[in-house]
This record gives sequence, C-alpha cells and structure tokens, in this order.
Amino acid sequence: MMNDGMDQFERRLSRQPVRQIPAGWREEILAAARNAAGANPAARVPSPSFLSTLNRQLSTILWPHPAAWAGLTAIWILILAVDFSIRDRSSVVTEKSVPPTPEVVAELRQQQRMLAELIGPRDTREADRSKTFVPQPRSEREDFVAA
Amino acid sequence: MRGSDLERLYDEHAQSLYAFLLNLTRDEADTRDLLQDVFVKLARQPELLAGVRDERAFLVRLAHNAAIDLMRRRGTRDKTREQFAAEISSPFATAGDPDEQTFRAALAEALAGLPPEQRAVVHLKLWGEWTFEQIADALDIPLNTAASRYRYGLDKLRERLRPLYEEMKKAE
Repeated sequence: MMNDGMDQFERRLSRQPVRQIPAGWREEILAAARNAAGANPAARVPSPSFLSTLNRQLSTILWPHPAAWAGLTAIWILILAVDFSIRDRSSVVTEKSVPPTPEVVAELRQQQRMLAELIGPRDTREADRSKTFVPQPRSEREDFVAA
Repeated sequence: MRGSDLERLYDEHAQSLYAFLLNLTRDEADTRDLLQDVFVKLARQPELLAGVRDERAFLVRLAHNAAIDLMRRRGTRDKTREQFAAEISSPFATAGDPDEQTFRAALAEALAGLPPEQRAVVHLKLWGEWTFEQIADALDIPLNTAASRYRYGLDKLRERLRPLYEEMKKAE
C-alpha cells in the first residue's frame, strides 16, 4: 500500500511539466559558441603561409597564359646569361690589352729619379752630423773643472 | 566543430539541460550562463565528444560540473539566495488550474530545500526519466549512491508535500 502510494506520488511529481527554454536563447548561445570557436586557434582553419599566398597570387596572374609567361621567363634568363658571359670576356680582354707604354715607363722612371734626389741630400746631412759628434772623455772634463 | 553540429546538439539537448540547470541553480541568468558555457566548451573542444556513446549523459555531466563549480564559488552567499530564488525561478511551467499551480509552487519550494546532489538525482530520475545506471554514469557516482540520494530526496519531498498531496487526492 505504501509502495503504491509512493509510486503514485512519484508519478504525480513526474507529470509536472518543466519550463520551456526561452526561444531567444538559441541564437544567442549558438552565436557565442561560434564566436568562441572562431577565436580559438585550435578550432580555426589554419591561415595560409606567405609562400602559399604568393603562389596563389602568382597563379592568379599567370594562369591565363602560363606557356607565354614561361617562354618570356626563359628568354629573360637567356638574355641575362649572354650578358654575363660577354661582360666576363670583355674584362679579361681589357686586362690583357693594356701593357705599359714606353711613355708611361719613362714617366715613372723620371718620378723615381726625382724622388731619389729629394730624399738623398737629407740622408747625407744626417749622416755627417752624426759623424761630427765626438764625446769628450770623462777624465778631461774633471781636469777642466779643477783648473 | 561545425555550426550544424552545434545546432543539432542544441536542438536535441538544450531543453533537458535547461530544466536540469534551472532546478539546480534556481536562477535563470545563471542557467543561461552555464548553458552557454557548455556550448562554448563544445565549440572550442569538439574532440570532447569523440567516442561518447550517450551525448545527453555527457552533456548533463558537463552542465552538472559547471553548476557545482558555480555554487562552490559562491559558497554561503548562494544558500541565502536560493531561499528566495524558489519563488522567482521555478523549474515548472505555470499551470492554469489554481490547485495545480499551488502544488507546483510547493514542489518547487520543497525541491529548493534539497541538497544539490539529491536535487540533481531526483530531477534526472523524475523529469529526465533516467535509470539509476544512467544517472550514476552521468554524475560520476556509484550506482548505490545515486539510488540512495534519490530515496532520501524523495522522502523529504513526500514529507513536505504530503498534506497538500493528500488533500488533492481526496478532491480528485
């Protein structure tokens, strides 16, 4: 009898309808959840790297005529290669084709001679001065003081 | 997690979670915050649901843990608040019949007098129609504990509501 009463009581309680969730919460809560997921780096789609962005941009630009762009690039590479090879050869030729002329050699010798003349006398004077210096012996100096 | 998955989870489980949380917190604003916390957590960590067999049980566990954390944070301040909150945020719909409304108000008040752990089990058993195994699993407690909490809680409700209940039975 007691069990019957309790079962009835429980059934009575369980028949009480609970409140309904406010309809407006759905959008608010889902929006908050979406925003939170967007702010979370782990849940976000990884952002493209610089190289992939560059690749995508270049692909967009070059895509209409890729063969034409490739051909143009090849031509530029060829032009640069030819330019470098010519520049190297011309510098070598320049180095080989400029021997010192007799005039330049004569001029250099003239300068050397002038330099030797300018430097020579000064060295001689200094040598003479060193030779004229004769220190007096210590004993003579004592005699002089005594006299 | 995709937006459509979140929407499905909300449509399938939000009502149950709302009733459960409102019965625990007795505060509509707190219930809303906790419900939002649950869905934000799912959106941020979709891997949480990987391998979950019973979605509702898992969501109830999340909601229950969040509610317990909130109550602990508030501590004694919440106990005083709860005594008045029963009148403000009843977990039950408003009844057209005055006698039925009186009974629902008394039931809401009696439920507010139960400790949260008993209230959680009583709610899931009576209004969720869960088995003790499901409740024990969701709340992470032993089966016997779930059954005894229900029994204790129900005894307190019966004791408090008996006069009104008997009177209504006679009237019927």
